[in-house]
Amino acid sequence: MLEDELTVNTRQREGVAIIDLIGDVTTFAEEKINTAYQEVTNQGSRLVLLNFRQNDYINSAGIAILIGIVTEVNRNSQKLAVSGLSQHFQKIFRMVGLAQYADIYQDEDEAIQGFKSITTT
Amino acid sequence: MNINTTLIASMDISFPSELGYEIIVRDAVESFAHRHGFAPERLEDLRTSLCEACINAIEHGNQCVAHMRVDVRCQYDRKQFQIEIQDQGIRPFSPPERPYSIAEKLAGVGTLRGMGLQIIAHLTDESGFLENDERGNCFRMVFYCDLDRTSRY
Amino acid sequence: MSNDTSQNGPLEKVIELRLPSKLGYERVAMDTASSLAKRMGFQDDRIDSLKTAVSEAVTNAIEHGNQHDSAMKVVVLLTARDDELIVSVADQGRKPLSQNCTTKIPHLEEIMEQPDKGGWGIWLIRELMDEVEFTTAPSGGNQVRMVIHLER
Repeated sequence: MLEDELTVNTRQREGVAIIDLIGDVTTFAEEKINTAYQEVTNQGSRLVLLNFRQNDYINSAGIAILIGIVTEVNRNSQKLAVSGLSQHFQKIFRMVGLAQYADIYQDEDEAIQGFKSITTT
Repeated sequence: MNINTTLIASMDISFPSELGYEIIVRDAVESFAHRHGFAPERLEDLRTSLCEACINAIEHGNQCVAHMRVDVRCQYDRKQFQIEIQDQGIRPFSPPERPYSIAEKLAGVGTLRGMGLQIIAHLTDESGFLENDERGNCFRMVFYCDLDRTSRY
Repeated sequence: MSNDTSQNGPLEKVIELRLPSKLGYERVAMDTASSLAKRMGFQDDRIDSLKTAVSEAVTNAIEHGNQHDSAMKVVVLLTARDDELIVSVADQGRKPLSQNCTTKIPHLEEIMEQPDKGGWGIWLIRELMDEVEFTTAPSGGNQVRMVIHLER
Protein backbone atom coordinates (compact mmCIF):
# COMPACT_ATOMS: atom_id res chain seq x y z
CA MET A 1 0.00 0.00 0.00
CA LEU A 2 1.38 3.38 -0.94
CA GLU A 3 1.17 5.43 2.22
CA ASP A 4 3.60 8.16 1.42
CA GLU A 5 1.33 10.40 -0.54
CA LEU A 6 2.18 13.77 0.95
CA THR A 7 5.09 16.00 -0.04
CA VAL A 8 5.91 18.84 2.35
CA ASN A 9 8.16 21.79 1.40
CA THR A 10 8.98 24.94 3.30
CA ARG A 11 9.98 28.30 1.82
CA GLN A 12 9.87 32.03 2.59
CA ARG A 13 8.01 34.67 0.62
CA GLU A 14 7.67 38.31 1.59
CA GLY A 15 8.14 37.61 5.28
CA VAL A 16 5.74 34.66 5.32
CA ALA A 17 6.89 31.10 6.00
CA ILE A 18 5.03 28.91 3.53
CA ILE A 19 4.54 25.21 4.20
CA ASP A 20 3.42 23.53 0.98
CA LEU A 21 1.31 20.42 1.61
CA ILE A 22 1.05 18.53 -1.66
CA GLY A 23 -1.09 15.40 -1.48
CA ASP A 24 -3.14 13.67 1.21
CA VAL A 25 -3.34 14.86 4.79
CA THR A 26 -4.05 11.78 6.90
CA THR A 27 -2.52 10.08 9.92
CA PHE A 28 0.62 9.37 7.86
CA ALA A 29 1.26 13.12 7.48
CA GLU A 30 1.87 13.85 11.15
CA GLU A 31 5.64 13.71 11.29
CA LYS A 32 6.20 15.62 8.05
CA ILE A 33 3.85 18.45 8.98
CA ASN A 34 5.13 18.79 12.53
CA THR A 35 8.75 18.76 11.35
CA ALA A 36 8.06 21.46 8.77
CA TYR A 37 6.24 23.61 11.32
CA GLN A 38 9.09 23.18 13.81
CA GLU A 39 11.59 24.18 11.15
CA VAL A 40 9.90 27.46 10.25
CA THR A 41 9.28 28.21 13.93
CA ASN A 42 12.94 27.64 14.77
CA GLN A 43 13.78 30.12 12.01
CA GLY A 44 11.75 32.69 13.94
CA SER A 45 8.81 32.93 11.51
CA ARG A 46 5.86 34.86 12.91
CA LEU A 47 3.60 34.40 9.90
CA VAL A 48 2.88 30.87 8.76
CA LEU A 49 0.88 29.79 5.71
CA LEU A 50 -0.25 26.21 5.16
CA ASN A 51 -0.54 26.08 1.38
CA PHE A 52 -2.57 23.04 0.32
CA ARG A 53 -2.20 21.63 -3.19
CA GLN A 54 -3.59 18.57 -4.95
CA ASN A 55 -5.13 17.23 -1.79
CA ASP A 56 -8.38 15.52 -2.50
CA TYR A 57 -8.18 13.69 0.79
CA ILE A 58 -7.98 15.25 4.22
CA ASN A 59 -9.52 13.12 6.96
CA SER A 60 -10.27 13.57 10.64
CA ALA A 61 -6.80 12.30 11.58
CA GLY A 62 -5.37 15.01 9.31
CA ILE A 63 -7.63 17.60 10.94
CA ALA A 64 -6.32 16.49 14.34
CA ILE A 65 -2.75 17.16 13.14
CA LEU A 66 -3.76 20.64 11.97
CA ILE A 67 -5.45 21.36 15.32
CA GLY A 68 -2.13 20.47 16.91
CA ILE A 69 -0.45 23.10 14.72
CA VAL A 70 -3.09 25.69 15.64
CA THR A 71 -2.44 24.96 19.33
CA GLU A 72 1.30 25.50 18.83
CA VAL A 73 0.75 28.65 16.76
CA ASN A 74 -1.30 30.14 19.61
CA ARG A 75 1.29 29.14 22.16
CA ASN A 76 4.08 30.68 20.09
CA SER A 77 2.06 33.85 19.29
CA GLN A 78 2.33 33.30 15.55
CA LYS A 79 -0.26 34.06 12.92
CA LEU A 80 -1.60 31.19 10.80
CA ALA A 81 -3.46 31.14 7.50
CA VAL A 82 -4.39 28.42 5.02
CA SER A 83 -4.73 28.56 1.25
CA GLY A 84 -5.50 26.28 -1.67
CA LEU A 85 -8.22 24.22 0.02
CA SER A 86 -11.08 22.94 -2.11
CA GLN A 87 -14.56 24.28 -1.35
CA HIS A 88 -15.34 21.01 0.44
CA PHE A 89 -12.40 21.20 2.81
CA GLN A 90 -12.97 24.93 3.38
CA LYS A 91 -16.45 23.91 4.54
CA ILE A 92 -15.03 21.24 6.83
CA PHE A 93 -12.52 23.68 8.32
CA ARG A 94 -15.41 26.03 9.11
CA MET A 95 -17.53 23.19 10.54
CA VAL A 96 -14.75 22.12 12.88
CA GLY A 97 -14.12 25.72 13.94
CA LEU A 98 -10.60 26.03 12.54
CA ALA A 99 -11.60 29.15 10.60
CA GLN A 100 -11.59 31.10 13.89
CA TYR A 101 -7.89 30.39 14.28
CA ALA A 102 -6.65 30.53 10.73
CA ASP A 103 -7.79 32.83 7.91
CA ILE A 104 -8.83 30.87 4.84
CA TYR A 105 -7.65 32.18 1.46
CA GLN A 106 -8.29 30.83 -2.01
CA ASP A 107 -4.64 30.83 -3.06
CA GLU A 108 -1.13 31.75 -2.01
CA ASP A 109 -1.14 35.24 -3.57
CA GLU A 110 -4.34 36.17 -1.78
CA ALA A 111 -2.91 34.87 1.50
CA ILE A 112 0.27 36.95 1.12
CA GLN A 113 -1.87 40.05 0.50
CA GLY A 114 -3.97 39.13 3.51
CA PHE A 115 -0.92 38.87 5.76
CA LYS A 116 0.32 42.24 4.45
CA SER A 117 -2.94 43.97 5.30
CA ILE A 118 -2.81 42.54 8.84
CA THR A 119 0.81 43.48 9.48
CA THR A 120 0.47 47.01 8.10
CA THR A 121 -2.61 47.92 10.12
CA MET B 1 -4.88 -20.07 2.23
CA ASN B 2 -2.02 -18.88 0.00
CA ILE B 3 0.59 -20.19 2.42
CA ASN B 4 3.14 -20.64 -0.33
CA THR B 5 2.71 -17.28 -1.96
CA THR B 6 3.53 -13.79 -0.85
CA LEU B 7 0.05 -12.39 -1.15
CA ILE B 8 0.21 -8.75 -0.17
CA ALA B 9 -3.37 -7.76 -0.55
CA SER B 10 -6.72 -9.05 -1.58
CA MET B 11 -10.04 -7.37 -2.17
CA ASP B 12 -13.44 -8.76 -3.13
CA ILE B 13 -16.28 -6.97 -4.81
CA SER B 14 -19.61 -8.45 -5.76
CA PHE B 15 -22.37 -6.86 -7.82
CA PRO B 16 -25.71 -7.57 -9.52
CA SER B 17 -25.86 -8.67 -13.15
CA GLU B 18 -26.93 -5.40 -14.62
CA LEU B 19 -25.01 -3.51 -17.27
CA GLY B 20 -23.52 -0.31 -15.87
CA TYR B 21 -22.23 -1.86 -12.67
CA GLU B 22 -19.05 -2.88 -14.46
CA ILE B 23 -18.08 0.81 -14.48
CA ILE B 24 -18.27 1.01 -10.68
CA VAL B 25 -16.29 -2.23 -10.36
CA ARG B 26 -13.71 -0.90 -12.80
CA ASP B 27 -13.23 2.23 -10.68
CA ALA B 28 -12.96 0.17 -7.47
CA VAL B 29 -10.35 -2.17 -8.93
CA GLU B 30 -8.47 0.73 -10.48
CA SER B 31 -8.28 2.39 -7.08
CA PHE B 32 -6.96 -0.84 -5.52
CA ALA B 33 -4.39 -1.31 -8.30
CA HIS B 34 -3.30 2.31 -8.24
CA ARG B 35 -2.68 2.16 -4.52
CA HIS B 36 -0.45 -0.86 -4.99
CA GLY B 37 1.69 0.85 -7.59
CA PHE B 38 0.09 -0.53 -10.74
CA ALA B 39 1.90 1.02 -13.71
CA PRO B 40 -0.14 4.12 -14.64
CA GLU B 41 0.54 3.59 -18.34
CA ARG B 42 -1.19 0.21 -18.14
CA LEU B 43 -4.24 1.35 -16.19
CA GLU B 44 -6.23 1.76 -19.40
CA ASP B 45 -5.45 -1.87 -20.30
CA LEU B 46 -6.74 -2.94 -16.89
CA ARG B 47 -9.87 -0.81 -17.14
CA THR B 48 -10.82 -2.04 -20.60
CA SER B 49 -10.17 -5.72 -19.99
CA LEU B 50 -11.95 -5.73 -16.64
CA CYS B 51 -15.04 -4.13 -18.16
CA GLU B 52 -15.07 -6.66 -20.99
CA ALA B 53 -14.77 -9.56 -18.55
CA CYS B 54 -17.53 -8.20 -16.32
CA ILE B 55 -19.83 -7.65 -19.29
CA ASN B 56 -19.24 -11.25 -20.36
CA ALA B 57 -20.18 -12.44 -16.88
CA ILE B 58 -23.31 -10.28 -16.80
CA GLU B 59 -24.53 -10.96 -20.33
CA HIS B 60 -23.44 -14.52 -20.95
CA GLY B 61 -22.75 -16.30 -17.66
CA ASN B 62 -25.65 -14.74 -15.79
CA GLN B 63 -27.84 -13.94 -18.81
CA CYS B 64 -28.58 -10.44 -17.44
CA VAL B 65 -30.66 -11.89 -14.57
CA ALA B 66 -30.18 -8.97 -12.20
CA HIS B 67 -30.23 -10.85 -8.90
CA MET B 68 -27.50 -13.24 -10.04
CA ARG B 69 -24.19 -12.07 -8.64
CA VAL B 70 -20.82 -11.50 -10.22
CA ASP B 71 -17.90 -11.86 -7.77
CA VAL B 72 -14.59 -10.19 -8.51
CA ARG B 73 -11.49 -11.00 -6.50
CA CYS B 74 -8.31 -8.93 -6.88
CA GLN B 75 -5.01 -10.16 -5.55
CA TYR B 76 -1.61 -8.53 -5.58
CA ASP B 77 1.63 -10.25 -4.62
CA ARG B 78 4.36 -7.86 -5.85
CA LYS B 79 4.93 -9.91 -8.99
CA GLN B 80 1.48 -9.63 -10.44
CA PHE B 81 -2.07 -8.44 -10.17
CA GLN B 82 -4.56 -11.24 -10.62
CA ILE B 83 -8.26 -10.64 -11.08
CA GLU B 84 -10.85 -13.42 -11.09
CA ILE B 85 -14.36 -12.79 -12.31
CA GLN B 86 -16.84 -15.42 -11.19
CA ASP B 87 -20.38 -15.67 -12.49
CA GLN B 88 -23.16 -18.08 -11.54
CA GLY B 89 -22.99 -19.81 -14.87
CA ILE B 90 -26.56 -20.05 -16.08
CA ARG B 91 -24.90 -20.52 -19.41
CA PRO B 92 -21.52 -22.27 -19.26
CA PHE B 93 -18.86 -20.75 -21.43
CA SER B 94 -18.25 -22.54 -24.70
CA PRO B 95 -15.45 -21.14 -26.78
CA PRO B 96 -15.97 -20.73 -30.52
CA GLU B 97 -14.01 -23.15 -32.65
CA ARG B 98 -12.00 -20.22 -33.81
CA PRO B 99 -12.57 -16.50 -33.33
CA TYR B 100 -13.68 -14.57 -36.36
CA SER B 101 -11.32 -11.89 -37.59
CA ILE B 102 -12.44 -8.31 -37.82
CA ALA B 103 -12.42 -8.65 -41.64
CA GLU B 104 -14.78 -11.61 -41.42
CA LYS B 105 -17.03 -9.79 -38.98
CA LEU B 106 -17.20 -6.75 -41.25
CA ALA B 107 -18.01 -9.08 -44.13
CA GLY B 108 -21.00 -10.29 -42.15
CA VAL B 109 -19.58 -13.62 -41.01
CA GLY B 110 -20.43 -14.23 -37.38
CA THR B 111 -21.70 -11.63 -34.95
CA LEU B 112 -20.21 -8.20 -34.43
CA ARG B 113 -20.08 -9.00 -30.73
CA GLY B 114 -17.77 -11.50 -29.17
CA MET B 115 -14.65 -9.40 -29.46
CA GLY B 116 -14.32 -9.16 -25.68
CA LEU B 117 -12.08 -12.16 -25.13
CA GLN B 118 -9.82 -11.21 -28.00
CA ILE B 119 -9.40 -7.71 -26.63
CA ILE B 120 -8.67 -9.06 -23.14
CA ALA B 121 -6.08 -11.47 -24.52
CA HIS B 122 -4.25 -8.58 -26.15
CA LEU B 123 -4.31 -6.31 -23.12
CA THR B 124 -3.40 -8.75 -20.35
CA ASP B 125 -0.35 -10.95 -19.71
CA GLU B 126 -2.44 -14.05 -19.03
CA SER B 127 -6.15 -14.66 -19.40
CA GLY B 128 -8.59 -17.50 -19.68
CA PHE B 129 -11.39 -19.45 -18.05
CA LEU B 130 -10.45 -21.65 -15.12
CA GLU B 131 -11.57 -25.26 -15.06
CA ASN B 132 -15.28 -25.06 -14.47
CA ASP B 133 -16.50 -25.64 -10.98
CA GLU B 134 -19.99 -25.92 -9.60
CA ARG B 135 -20.27 -22.24 -8.95
CA GLY B 136 -20.24 -21.19 -12.59
CA ASN B 137 -17.66 -19.67 -14.92
CA CYS B 138 -14.51 -18.20 -13.50
CA PHE B 139 -12.42 -16.00 -15.77
CA ARG B 140 -8.89 -15.13 -14.65
CA MET B 141 -6.65 -12.39 -15.91
CA VAL B 142 -3.17 -11.41 -14.85
CA PHE B 143 -0.99 -8.33 -15.24
CA TYR B 144 2.72 -8.75 -14.51
CA CYS B 145 4.40 -6.02 -12.49
CA ASP B 146 8.02 -6.53 -13.42
CA LEU B 147 7.90 -6.06 -17.16
CA ASP B 148 10.02 -3.27 -18.47
CA ARG B 149 7.50 -1.97 -20.86
CA THR B 150 4.46 0.15 -21.08
CA SER B 151 1.21 -0.83 -22.71
CA ARG B 152 1.61 -3.52 -25.32
CA TYR B 153 -0.30 -1.36 -27.78
CA MET C 1 -46.54 -7.48 -10.71
CA SER C 2 -43.30 -9.29 -11.00
CA ASN C 3 -42.90 -12.53 -9.10
CA ASP C 4 -39.22 -11.93 -9.07
CA THR C 5 -38.95 -10.99 -5.42
CA SER C 6 -37.18 -12.76 -2.61
CA GLN C 7 -38.64 -13.46 0.80
CA ASN C 8 -36.96 -10.29 1.96
CA GLY C 9 -39.10 -8.13 -0.27
CA PRO C 10 -38.15 -6.52 -3.54
CA LEU C 11 -34.65 -7.33 -4.65
CA GLU C 12 -32.19 -4.58 -4.08
CA LYS C 13 -29.16 -3.95 -6.16
CA VAL C 14 -26.26 -4.00 -3.81
CA ILE C 15 -22.54 -3.71 -4.45
CA GLU C 16 -20.55 -5.48 -1.75
CA LEU C 17 -16.94 -4.55 -1.18
CA ARG C 18 -14.72 -6.52 1.21
CA LEU C 19 -11.51 -4.75 2.18
CA PRO C 20 -8.54 -5.64 4.39
CA SER C 21 -8.31 -3.73 7.68
CA LYS C 22 -5.35 -1.61 6.75
CA LEU C 23 -5.25 2.16 6.56
CA GLY C 24 -5.21 3.28 2.95
CA TYR C 25 -7.97 0.93 1.82
CA GLU C 26 -10.55 3.50 2.83
CA ARG C 27 -9.51 5.20 -0.43
CA VAL C 28 -10.85 2.23 -2.40
CA ALA C 29 -14.21 2.55 -0.63
CA MET C 30 -14.25 6.31 -1.27
CA ASP C 31 -13.48 5.87 -4.97
CA THR C 32 -16.13 3.17 -5.35
CA ALA C 33 -18.84 5.20 -3.58
CA SER C 34 -17.85 8.26 -5.60
CA SER C 35 -18.07 6.35 -8.88
CA LEU C 36 -21.55 5.08 -8.04
CA ALA C 37 -22.77 8.48 -6.79
CA LYS C 38 -21.51 10.18 -9.94
CA ARG C 39 -23.45 7.74 -12.12
CA MET C 40 -26.55 8.27 -9.98
CA GLY C 41 -26.36 12.00 -10.71
CA PHE C 42 -25.19 13.46 -7.39
CA GLN C 43 -23.66 16.95 -7.49
CA ASP C 44 -19.91 17.26 -6.95
CA ASP C 45 -20.19 18.87 -3.51
CA ARG C 46 -22.47 16.06 -2.31
CA ILE C 47 -20.01 13.49 -3.64
CA ASP C 48 -17.22 15.22 -1.67
CA SER C 49 -19.33 14.96 1.48
CA LEU C 50 -20.06 11.28 0.76
CA LYS C 51 -16.36 10.56 0.26
CA THR C 52 -15.43 12.15 3.57
CA ALA C 53 -18.19 10.26 5.41
CA VAL C 54 -17.20 6.94 3.82
CA SER C 55 -13.53 7.52 4.62
CA GLU C 56 -14.33 8.23 8.28
CA ALA C 57 -16.59 5.18 8.60
CA VAL C 58 -14.08 2.82 7.00
CA THR C 59 -11.16 4.31 8.95
CA ASN C 60 -13.11 3.79 12.19
CA ALA C 61 -13.80 0.18 11.22
CA ILE C 62 -10.11 -0.43 10.48
CA GLU C 63 -8.70 1.36 13.51
CA HIS C 64 -11.26 0.70 16.22
CA GLY C 65 -13.58 -2.16 15.31
CA ASN C 66 -10.92 -4.37 13.76
CA GLN C 67 -7.97 -2.95 15.70
CA HIS C 68 -5.74 -2.76 12.58
CA ASP C 69 -5.83 -6.57 12.14
CA SER C 70 -5.40 -6.71 8.35
CA ALA C 71 -6.75 -10.26 8.23
CA MET C 72 -10.10 -8.89 9.38
CA LYS C 73 -12.41 -7.52 6.75
CA VAL C 74 -14.33 -4.30 6.45
CA VAL C 75 -17.53 -4.86 4.50
CA VAL C 76 -19.00 -1.93 2.60
CA LEU C 77 -22.46 -2.29 1.07
CA LEU C 78 -23.58 0.27 -1.49
CA THR C 79 -27.25 0.30 -2.42
CA ALA C 80 -28.42 2.60 -5.19
CA ARG C 81 -32.10 3.51 -5.04
CA ASP C 82 -33.94 5.95 -7.29
CA ASP C 83 -33.77 8.77 -4.77
CA GLU C 84 -30.96 7.85 -2.39
CA LEU C 85 -27.69 6.04 -1.91
CA ILE C 86 -27.30 3.87 1.18
CA VAL C 87 -23.81 3.01 2.38
CA SER C 88 -23.34 0.54 5.17
CA VAL C 89 -19.92 -0.11 6.69
CA ALA C 90 -19.39 -3.08 9.03
CA ASP C 91 -16.37 -4.34 10.92
CA GLN C 92 -15.80 -7.58 12.80
CA GLY C 93 -16.21 -5.87 16.13
CA ARG C 94 -13.10 -6.73 18.04
CA LYS C 95 -13.85 -3.54 19.94
CA PRO C 96 -17.47 -2.33 20.18
CA LEU C 97 -18.25 1.37 19.83
CA SER C 98 -19.59 2.99 22.96
CA GLN C 99 -22.88 4.86 22.79
CA ASN C 100 -21.06 7.94 24.05
CA CYS C 101 -18.67 8.10 21.12
CA THR C 102 -21.44 7.76 18.54
CA THR C 103 -23.32 10.79 19.88
CA LYS C 104 -20.57 13.05 21.22
CA ILE C 105 -20.26 16.56 19.78
CA PRO C 106 -16.63 17.69 19.88
CA HIS C 107 -15.70 21.30 20.71
CA LEU C 108 -12.53 22.72 19.25
CA GLU C 109 -11.61 24.81 22.31
CA GLU C 110 -11.82 21.77 24.59
CA ILE C 111 -9.97 19.53 22.17
CA MET C 112 -7.14 22.04 21.83
CA GLU C 113 -6.52 21.59 25.56
CA GLN C 114 -6.28 17.81 25.24
CA PRO C 115 -3.26 15.79 24.11
CA ASP C 116 -5.43 13.82 21.64
CA LYS C 117 -6.81 16.21 19.04
CA GLY C 118 -8.91 13.56 17.30
CA GLY C 119 -12.48 12.36 17.73
CA TRP C 120 -14.04 14.22 14.81
CA GLY C 121 -14.89 11.26 12.57
CA ILE C 122 -18.34 10.22 13.73
CA TRP C 123 -19.44 13.81 14.20
CA LEU C 124 -18.35 14.59 10.63
CA ILE C 125 -20.37 11.63 9.33
CA ARG C 126 -23.47 12.91 11.14
CA GLU C 127 -22.94 16.44 9.83
CA LEU C 128 -22.39 15.38 6.22
CA MET C 129 -24.97 12.60 5.66
CA ASP C 130 -28.77 12.88 5.64
CA GLU C 131 -29.42 9.82 7.83
CA VAL C 132 -26.97 8.00 10.09
CA GLU C 133 -27.60 4.97 12.26
CA PHE C 134 -25.22 2.90 14.36
CA THR C 135 -26.21 -0.73 14.80
CA THR C 136 -24.71 -4.17 15.24
CA ALA C 137 -23.80 -5.99 12.03
CA PRO C 138 -25.09 -9.52 11.33
CA SER C 139 -21.48 -10.61 11.91
CA GLY C 140 -21.64 -9.14 15.40
CA GLY C 141 -19.40 -6.18 14.59
CA ASN C 142 -20.13 -2.49 14.54
CA GLN C 143 -22.16 -1.19 11.63
CA VAL C 144 -22.91 2.29 10.49
CA ARG C 145 -25.65 2.88 7.94
CA MET C 146 -25.53 6.19 6.13
CA VAL C 147 -28.01 7.59 3.64
CA ILE C 148 -27.53 10.47 1.25
CA HIS C 149 -30.57 11.78 -0.62
CA LEU C 150 -30.52 12.56 -4.28
CA GLU C 151 -32.10 15.97 -4.87
CA ARG C 152 -33.17 16.44 -8.43
